[in-house]
Amino acid sequence: MMNRREFIKQSGLASSLYFVPQFLKACEKFNADTENYRKLVVIQLSGGNDGLNTVIPFRNDIYYKRRPGIAIPKETVLKATDELGFHGSLAPLKQLYDQGYLSIINGVGYPNPNRSHFRSSDIWHTASDSKEYLDSGWLGRYINAFGEKPYAGIELDDSLSLIMKGDGINGVAVRNPQTLYRNTRKPYFDAVLKNKSDAHLNEHNLGYLYKTMIEAKSSAKYIYETSKTFQSALTYPDGPFAAQLKTTAQFINSGLGTKVYYVSMGGFDTHSGQNAKQSKLLGIYADAIKVFIKDLDQNGSFKDTLVLTFSEFGRRVKQNAGQGTDHGTANNIFLMGKNLREPGFYNNLPNLSDLDNNGDLRHTVDFREVYATILDKWLQTDDRTILRKDFGKLHFI
Amino acid sequence: MNKRNIQHLYSRAGFGILPHELGSRENWSRDKVVEHLFAVTRNVTPLRIDLSEIINLEVPEGEKRGRTFIKKGRDLLKDYNRAWIDRLMDPSSGIHEKMILFWANVFVAKDKNIIHTQQYNNTLRKYALGDFREFVKAVSKAPTMMKYLNTNRNVKKSPNENFARELLELFTLGVGNYTEKDIKEAARAFTGWSFKEGSFHLNQRRHDSGKKEFLGKSGNFDGDDIIDIILDQRQCARFICSKIYRYFVNPDIDEERLEELTHIFYGDYDIGKLMQYLFKTDWFYNSKNIGVKIKSPIELLAGINRVVPLQFKKENQIVFIQKMMGQHLLHPPNVAGWKGDRYWIDTNTLMFRLNLPAMLLNNAILELVEKGGFKDSFAEFYDDKKKKGRTLDVHKSWDIFERNYGHLGFQEFVDTLIPASVETKALEGLLKKEDKKTDCIRLMSLPEYQLC
Repeated sequence: MMNRREFIKQSGLASSLYFVPQFLKACEKFNADTENYRKLVVIQLSGGNDGLNTVIPFRNDIYYKRRPGIAIPKETVLKATDELGFHGSLAPLKQLYDQGYLSIINGVGYPNPNRSHFRSSDIWHTASDSKEYLDSGWLGRYINAFGEKPYAGIELDDSLSLIMKGDGINGVAVRNPQTLYRNTRKPYFDAVLKNKSDAHLNEHNLGYLYKTMIEAKSSAKYIYETSKTFQSALTYPDGPFAAQLKTTAQFINSGLGTKVYYVSMGGFDTHSGQNAKQSKLLGIYADAIKVFIKDLDQNGSFKDTLVLTFSEFGRRVKQNAGQGTDHGTANNIFLMGKNLREPGFYNNLPNLSDLDNNGDLRHTVDFREVYATILDKWLQTDDRTILRKDFGKLHFI
Repeated sequence: MNKRNIQHLYSRAGFGILPHELGSRENWSRDKVVEHLFAVTRNVTPLRIDLSEIINLEVPEGEKRGRTFIKKGRDLLKDYNRAWIDRLMDPSSGIHEKMILFWANVFVAKDKNIIHTQQYNNTLRKYALGDFREFVKAVSKAPTMMKYLNTNRNVKKSPNENFARELLELFTLGVGNYTEKDIKEAARAFTGWSFKEGSFHLNQRRHDSGKKEFLGKSGNFDGDDIIDIILDQRQCARFICSKIYRYFVNPDIDEERLEELTHIFYGDYDIGKLMQYLFKTDWFYNSKNIGVKIKSPIELLAGINRVVPLQFKKENQIVFIQKMMGQHLLHPPNVAGWKGDRYWIDTNTLMFRLNLPAMLLNNAILELVEKGGFKDSFAEFYDDKKKKGRTLDVHKSWDIFERNYGHLGFQEFVDTLIPASVETKALEGLLKKEDKKTDCIRLMSLPEYQLC
């Protein structure tokens, strides 16, 4: 396991960066080492994606019996194994699957599942138990422990989610690097910072505000100036989700010193008229992913990037009266990368005939085992420091 | 009482003080100032909006009642959020409104039902400076709380511990001051608790009237008995006082002072008395307690509004501001509430907060979009319309600002706006000294203005 010193060396976040007076100067150059370290991109399908209609058990009678109005017909399924196949909108994922760049883990969840979007999303973001309330996210704590600069973690948005909040140091939200830069680049703020004495930076909360302000400014400048050195040669689909991924690829391909990224895509709360909605959404997701992966691969970054897709919960096995599904529990997750140890289906689908009292799937893999594995084997850090508990490791990577 | 102390009092017990009010209190004793502060907010006015639309809901043919109710309710919830903000921004709001914000973050609950939400908010209003014992009991019986923590699903046959756990952990004693067994026993006492038409209702058949053992006592306790036993613990007074201390005095607790407050509060649990005591102590005005607290987003907004009265023309923009700064009233993140102080601040929220005065008062554009919601469709989640650079549509009463601040000398003006002392050197070249409006915006854009 790597210690912090080695991490810093490897990541190019030289410790001279941390002393505030030199900070502005130090941030202007970036270290070429950052190009080759490992990155993680986390994508949330927000609203609760229906996993059973995403990866379809097309031989399962219970599946068809419980979902007479919305089950995906066998003939449209993109069959991957004798039992499971992809939704028709996911052809690009099927292709990644065929290339060995995709792992699917089924039945990922946690004990005592919560079916509220807010709460379950918080649980996934903070890596907490069902009844535990944490104020920081697992990516935020990672930045805290090993990255130390806000831009070590970037959320592709204008405000920061819990997943990127650390204890003391947080990630930074950037939807558009230029906008972020412009908002910090006011002459008045420059003048304010210029007038600051070092004494001010030592004061309790006031110092914290000034330090955060200085970091905001230098991070914004660094992100903007670094990322503009790369322009993608590929055409992404139209639309905001593809734009988020395009910006992410631009950040990664420009060699930005960011280790973890978070993107969320909305619209998956399909209580009614599910099939048309979900089909469109999965198409938007997969089409953007296709170009994103290609963009990384063409620029030699895919080998250093792992992409995790999750949703705050899956949906109920039995459809509802509105041709949709209600909030459920365990779900499948996707992992994309060039270094997968077990590409394809990592495990079987949970048993559809052994549901909990609500008629929901019982989880077979704790999501924190997935996190622990990523932290330990991919990001090579001490997962127990970040997750605050010891979780078993999987062997997908 | 000197100016600095009066200002400190009014920034903690309210949302600021106007120069002429400040001047008029200078010759008063501390006791008089504090008593006046409480006297003006003695009358509790409930916060109500017109709910007839939903009470007399007519359901269009073919639509389900539930869905129409939720849809209408969502709009009215937004109206209620606005009404609350308006109340906070009212120049007469003071210690009472501040206490309500405090309690809303202690007895945290969230509800989609606007009728119950309004009822709950008015429960907070009723007891905010009253009897804590009655307060806990009233909150525990409110439909919003019963739904939020599943008390209404807590039945003898299969007790639900959610409410009992949070009551002990977050509302009264704090972690480590009870056992898992205590939670189980307390949960039994709250079985059968429910509501009918907005009022508390005890379902006898679902209530476990058997003997319970709780915090060393045993008897056929019901929920109210449990609350009484909790309040017998000195720890309960201490726990609430620690929250009061962090919120009103200093984020870092001074154990000796906390003990002093606990001594006052324990026993009769009179919130008004406790707060008056606190504001009359010498140590509350100790310089280590002045200007050290990071304003909550709502305090920041209400404070700016106190100086230059604002009127929002678009409801959505009020929501936008709250969301971008991470404090959307009626939408707490979880039962533990907002953590406060440094937790308000990250790179993005700080830049937003520093830019807020220019956005509100100088039509500055910040091309930012608030997050989409879980229930939004794809199009709503990313709403393109919101992306276009937009100015906040706000009416600013600069005339009132002129009237209140126009006559002040430069240093006096600075001191009035910024309670934390600013180094004069730090202001060199930053202010114009002739143009008070511009200086006002600039002072409010200083990191120092984030503190109170």
